[in-house]
Amino acid sequence: MKNNNKQAFLNRWQETTDIPPQTIGPITPVYKELTKRLKTMPFPVFVVLSIVIVGVLLYVLGPSITSYVTLLQRGF
Amino acid sequence: MSDQAVVAVYSFVRNMVGLVTKPYETYRTIVNHGSLWEILPLSLLVSSYLIIASLVKTATFRPYMLTKHFIVLALAVGTMYGLVVGLVWIIGKMVGGKGNLRGVVLGWAYTLVPTVCWFLATSLLYMVIPPPRTDRPLGMLFSLLFLFFSSVLFFWKLVLSYLTLRFSLKIDLFRIVIISIVTIPVVVLYSVGMYRLGIFKIPFV
Repeated sequence: MKNNNKQAFLNRWQETTDIPPQTIGPITPVYKELTKRLKTMPFPVFVVLSIVIVGVLLYVLGPSITSYVTLLQRGF
Repeated sequence: MSDQAVVAVYSFVRNMVGLVTKPYETYRTIVNHGSLWEILPLSLLVSSYLIIASLVKTATFRPYMLTKHFIVLALAVGTMYGLVVGLVWIIGKMVGGKGNLRGVVLGWAYTLVPTVCWFLATSLLYMVIPPPRTDRPLGMLFSLLFLFFSSVLFFWKLVLSYLTLRFSLKIDLFRIVIISIVTIPVVVLYSVGMYRLGIFKIPFV
């Protein structure tokens, strides 16, 4: 049992360390902070980002936003 | 064989939940331990959408037209999937990717989940609330909600695509950007072709 647990742990460890951590120079801490929120239940982040994007689109396009939605709705 | 299929369906359902709650960990599991059998329930999901799209697009219930439409859509989707997987694999290897093709095939297949969700919702909405949208309050409200929904699915797709490349090819962000720079124009060209042929107006990537 003890050996099984040890082997499982080692396998898991190898799997986790298989890919080297992502670094992007001086902004690595910012990148880590951003991606941390996307690893588990990322939908709250998507919701916030989408609200911002829709707000910007509404501000830029105004009522003509409906014509773009019409295009998208016919896009399938 | 049937045991493998049952295990694959179970893994598929578990992974579908994982894609929402824990995409990072789930993708690691998919790429390292996933079975190609899991593509079967995914194909059934995509086929279900294609059947619905054929029914919506073909106004009349004529089996010949429906079958023809379904086959055309299925070929377009299959070619796009093969094109993306092939390009990602070849360019990934060129930039020093270390993974295996099975990981790319499985990983990219799971990225089709948000795509199918969007296309399915759009085709069903097309029947329930057909376009065009007007700039009246209800039309505006629907438009904003539709864009919000599309945007959420787009970000989900983006994250799943990134995780596919990261885990299946074991590459860093810089190489992922290189692969994207090469792949996206090819996908755009293919999508323009599909648009001109009247098969897909929005690419089924």
